[in-house]
Amino acid sequence: MADVKLSNIKKSYGNTPVLHGIDLDIKHGEFVVLVGASGCGKSTLLRLIAGLEDISSGELCIGEQQVNSLPPAQRGIAMVFQSYALYPHMTVFKNMSYGLKIAGKGKDFIDAKVREAARILHIDHLLERLPRELSGGQRQRVAIGRAIVRDPNVFLFDEPLSNLDAALRVKTRVEIGKLHQELGATIIYVTHDQVEAMTLGDKIVVMNQGRVEQCGTPLELYQHPATRFVGGFIGSPKMNFIDGKVAAIGSDHIEIQLSNGCRSRACVEAGDLKVGDSVTLGVRPEHIEERSDAGTLLSGDVSLVERLGEASFIYMTLGDGTEMVVRGSGESTVTTCERIEVSFAPHNAHVFDSNDRALRRLKPGNVHSTAQLAQLKAVGQETL
Amino acid sequence: MISLPGLKHNTGKTLMTHAVLLTYTVIALFPILVIIVNAFKSRKAIFKDPLALPTLDSFSLEGFEQVLGRADFGLYFGNSMIVTLVSLFFVLLLGAMAAWALTEYKFRGNLFLAVLIAMGIMIPIRLGTVSILNLMASLDLVNTLTALVLVYIAQGLPLAVFILSEFIRQVPKELKEAARCDNVSEYKIFFTIILPLIRPAMATVAVFTMIPIWNDLWFPLILAPGESTQTITLGVQQFIGQYVTDWNAVLSSLTLAIVPVLVLYVIFSRQLIRGLTSGAVK
Amino acid sequence: MSQPSSIQRRFPWHILFFLAPGLLIYVTFSVYPLLDTLWLGLFQEDATGQRFFAGISNYQTLLLDAAWSEPFWNALWNNTKFFIIHMLVQNPIGLFLAALLSSPRLRLSNTYRTLIFMPTMLSVVIIGFVWQLLLSPIWGISEGFLYSIGLGQYFDAWLGKESSSLITLALISVWQFVGIPMMLIYAAMLSIPDDLIDASVVDGSNAWQTFWNIKLPLILPTIGMVSILTFVANFNAFELVYAVKGALAGPNFSSDIMGTLFYRTFFGFQLQSGSITMGAAVATLMFLIILVGVMLYLFVVQRRMKRFQL
Repeated sequence: MADVKLSNIKKSYGNTPVLHGIDLDIKHGEFVVLVGASGCGKSTLLRLIAGLEDISSGELCIGEQQVNSLPPAQRGIAMVFQSYALYPHMTVFKNMSYGLKIAGKGKDFIDAKVREAARILHIDHLLERLPRELSGGQRQRVAIGRAIVRDPNVFLFDEPLSNLDAALRVKTRVEIGKLHQELGATIIYVTHDQVEAMTLGDKIVVMNQGRVEQCGTPLELYQHPATRFVGGFIGSPKMNFIDGKVAAIGSDHIEIQLSNGCRSRACVEAGDLKVGDSVTLGVRPEHIEERSDAGTLLSGDVSLVERLGEASFIYMTLGDGTEMVVRGSGESTVTTCERIEVSFAPHNAHVFDSNDRALRRLKPGNVHSTAQLAQLKAVGQETL
Repeated sequence: MISLPGLKHNTGKTLMTHAVLLTYTVIALFPILVIIVNAFKSRKAIFKDPLALPTLDSFSLEGFEQVLGRADFGLYFGNSMIVTLVSLFFVLLLGAMAAWALTEYKFRGNLFLAVLIAMGIMIPIRLGTVSILNLMASLDLVNTLTALVLVYIAQGLPLAVFILSEFIRQVPKELKEAARCDNVSEYKIFFTIILPLIRPAMATVAVFTMIPIWNDLWFPLILAPGESTQTITLGVQQFIGQYVTDWNAVLSSLTLAIVPVLVLYVIFSRQLIRGLTSGAVK
Repeated sequence: MSQPSSIQRRFPWHILFFLAPGLLIYVTFSVYPLLDTLWLGLFQEDATGQRFFAGISNYQTLLLDAAWSEPFWNALWNNTKFFIIHMLVQNPIGLFLAALLSSPRLRLSNTYRTLIFMPTMLSVVIIGFVWQLLLSPIWGISEGFLYSIGLGQYFDAWLGKESSSLITLALISVWQFVGIPMMLIYAAMLSIPDDLIDASVVDGSNAWQTFWNIKLPLILPTIGMVSILTFVANFNAFELVYAVKGALAGPNFSSDIMGTLFYRTFFGFQLQSGSITMGAAVATLMFLIILVGVMLYLFVVQRRMKRFQL
């Protein structure tokens, strides 16, 4: 068993803090994705777990053991680097066996291990080649193979797909998912790509400016983003935000006076919100419908239509200048410069207070949540 | 090693690294400092306690007085300056022009010329000294600074062409094509677009060209040994050969040769080292 | 090819303009003298200064006639020792210093680099004199220093002894030029991606194993380049020996190298008068030695040491 437990992990370079106290519980066998924009500290966190950087304060446990000051090789981890970091002067076989050789393992043992890993990854025929003779996808497999042979309790992946082309990225993503099931090991995976995060992760940790913004399953993040940042980060195209003020508070909803003059109903808990408070209404493009009777009505001018075939992204500008995206049907006949009316249901609205914290939604998501997630994945793949 | 907490272990290692580097730095600097320090002491003090700093008692400038009285160091220094700067100017200009011609235009003999010039990087020009002296004699250039400048240009060109070619190759094709579409002449393209773009590489070339010229003894000794054309290196060498037993004078002349270079080095060390470590010379 | 076709038909004056001045100087003062020297080596002069073609007889004299061949082989062997000492001392120290300097997050790294490189900037002649003074038994500064660290009894007039003068000169040269391998290797080490080093740390190697297994193989091409630069510089060296020991490279020619032999042959010394044609012959042999070294490097060493895409 190798649970990974981070308690109040802090890291600063000189006087510049980059991680402000990270708490995280990772169960054995879990696939955890750290996701966030570049510079949010996700890679630093991964390097702290790997032992490539010193932890400034806090406690890191892998299994039952506190590993703060253990060298990387003794933490039971293996890491796959963004650049693959294959040793350019060693053959694939030597690349994969280097760690075992350093550990002083026997020749036969090493040979068996490497061949086993090569078999799993279908790179048996490449073992005598040098890295420069391999394609990007093959290098990526070798990098994973080098991690596998060490039989680690925890795999660390640092943006492993970002150097691959779009088609290969999707394919490799699927394979990493399968590999996780096959190996049953804990995986901590860093990416800036929310689609990778959603599709691969059992648990997603959204990071922002050195803090954990929210941690949860893909569906939780999608349906109940805790902050405006998470709302905007998860989902593609991005969630639309419209500024407004609380106009009325009901028992199972609030009413918001939007900046474009419309009034909208949202099914959220008011908490200690008062009438007149500034809020932001968030609604996902796929929850806005091209008809006028779904709930809140919005009208605006179409500035651009992107046709994807099975759907159309309609970019529109509301009366007050707010930009919005609507995911319309593939057959939509809307054209640029046309004035259209769209609407969304109150239970699909998200509301964020002036501190950008989300208000609790009362009718979570909608009944077709699984279908929605599948749709989200489909969208993500196209936009890759 | 493993049981030590990471932090402590690293501190020990860092200390060791600093200790070794500091030791070597002392080894590198100490001899030079000893010479400079003793140049400011009286003869008695030089021998009594060579490692001591000059005190009020032992301070003396007699060496410098003798040196400046007996030899025209100002002239030598000026000669070195002229030779180095003029050679440097032409190496950079002609080197950049040749590099441009060889990388940009395809013509018959291009490869042959490129190889011919590349040979000059590895084969020292010194080996042709016999003929160079003959040639300079027949051109009536012996004992002139011109002879030195010509030889140093020939010596510096190969490496300059090599490094600058690498950089010129990296200039985006679009820049030149856009200019040609606007009917800009080839001369103007080179002088107004290419030259400014390869300025960083010029700095690197300047470093590699300048130092060997300034420090050279061979060609001044053979081509321009006359009193009025001596460079500082040759001047110091001749002077010390003559007054080898006059310790004050010897130490002072060495100091006069060392200090200007050290001052320039300290001022330009940043650019210089960047030039040395830049990817230009792979 | 890249210029418009209308220009191509006219005579390409601009190519001539760019290429001619540099090429003219280079050919006149470098290529021609070198070829002329090779040619001159095949001539001899009679007492009246009349030059006549003599075929390879200069080389026969130089390599077979004891009066000439002894100094020649002596100089060649001394030069080889000079080179070997550089390879065994200068380059390993340079490598070692570069490895230390490239340790991650080392403070003052730039300062060390700048200071250690300082002697390299100075003229070989000046450095020669500096060490001549420091090692002089008359001044006694080295002797005093050695006594102060308890090694006084080992002091000797190293530069003045047949057995030690060449080694001492070589070590002085090493001391001066260690900055060059240090810089070049340091630059090569910086170009190794951090990820590779991290990967090797994760794989469990300690600093020494990382250096030996990862960094060293990756900087081998640079070490090869440093070696050939050292080779050319050493077989072309002259100033240090000339400054410290004079053209006679004493005592008893024990510090004679190719450069000083060339100088003496060309200009003459003491009783022997200088000979242009014999000088040319010596220069030709030096040329061949350097050429063989460079070729060996280009076609054997460099071809084997593949440059790895980092």
